[in-house]
Amino acid sequence: MTLHDLALAVGNSGVGAWMRSNLHAMPVVEATHVLAAATVLGTVLVVDLRLLGFTDRKRAVTVVSREMLGFTWAGFVLAVITGVMMFAANANTYYGNTAFRIKLLLLAAAGLNMAIFNLGALRSVVQWDLQQRTPRAARVAAALSVLLWVSVIFVARWIGFTKGYDFAVPDNVDLDLTIP
Amino acid sequence: MQHFAQWLQATPLSIAIQSTSWLIPLLQSIHIVMIGLVFVAVLLLVLRVLGLARTDELPSVVWSRFAPWLRRGVIVLALTGLVLIISEPVREFTAISFWLKMLLLALGLSAIAVLGKALRRDAPASRGLAVLTLLVWIAVIFFGRAIAYDVEVWGALSFKA
Repeated sequence: MTLHDLALAVGNSGVGAWMRSNLHAMPVVEATHVLAAATVLGTVLVVDLRLLGFTDRKRAVTVVSREMLGFTWAGFVLAVITGVMMFAANANTYYGNTAFRIKLLLLAAAGLNMAIFNLGALRSVVQWDLQQRTPRAARVAAALSVLLWVSVIFVARWIGFTKGYDFAVPDNVDLDLTIP
Repeated sequence: MQHFAQWLQATPLSIAIQSTSWLIPLLQSIHIVMIGLVFVAVLLLVLRVLGLARTDELPSVVWSRFAPWLRRGVIVLALTGLVLIISEPVREFTAISFWLKMLLLALGLSAIAVLGKALRRDAPASRGLAVLTLLVWIAVIFFGRAIAYDVEVWGALSFKA
């Protein structure tokens, strides 16, 4: 099974059919996706700005991050569920959409950045939990995190403007003549 | 209103924004990033009132931590929103969701101002109002997205139907 087969299977699933047949589905699911994305971005930013030493300087890094973690994950899970639902509605179009593909790569990069931070710099957090100035590795991870998550939002919004028009017409083809 | 929207849509400024292909997606992206800031600021202020977050800090400390996010975020949202309205006034002004969003936005801003007054003085704030404030802001986000789907959401009630 190729990735394209998987995409088509999602599109042909009951979820895809339901999304296409229910008039209210798309606006409600999209609005929920925005709310979920806003929660992920905002809560991630709270932690990243603490790591960068801009805000919450007197609060322990672990306190700030533990407080936000539940909201970040709740928002992320909700964003994935609503995202898959939107994908299912137009699977083939999304599959071939460059902005969509870049968004998935950026999401993977954001996840990788978080994993590296968790397995690396964060392991010694007891030593710098209350310090205003965190280790360089932590600051780099936080800066990358801000950059990647903001990019995810930008590229995601771009999908809506390229969907369906994301193809190159060969020079020798006159589109008007191909319409019967 | 319809005439005003059509007039605005035909102004050189509106046409200039409409015809700059990357401008609208860029402004919408900034708008969404700012929604993240403002929504999480509202969320944490509400949770502080409810005693569910940052209880180790005085309410006034939590207010001064998130009020700047709220203030600056709302300013950027208003500016990007204004340019987006100028670019597509007919689409916005004929949408029920747009007017409902504006009404809820006024309520949401007033509610957070009332909560802020209590938080700043470390005085007890209404828990019911806190919950209501969060719900109103969630509704603002929902109806913001629903502007693009007025007929789908409102059916025969929509002016566009």
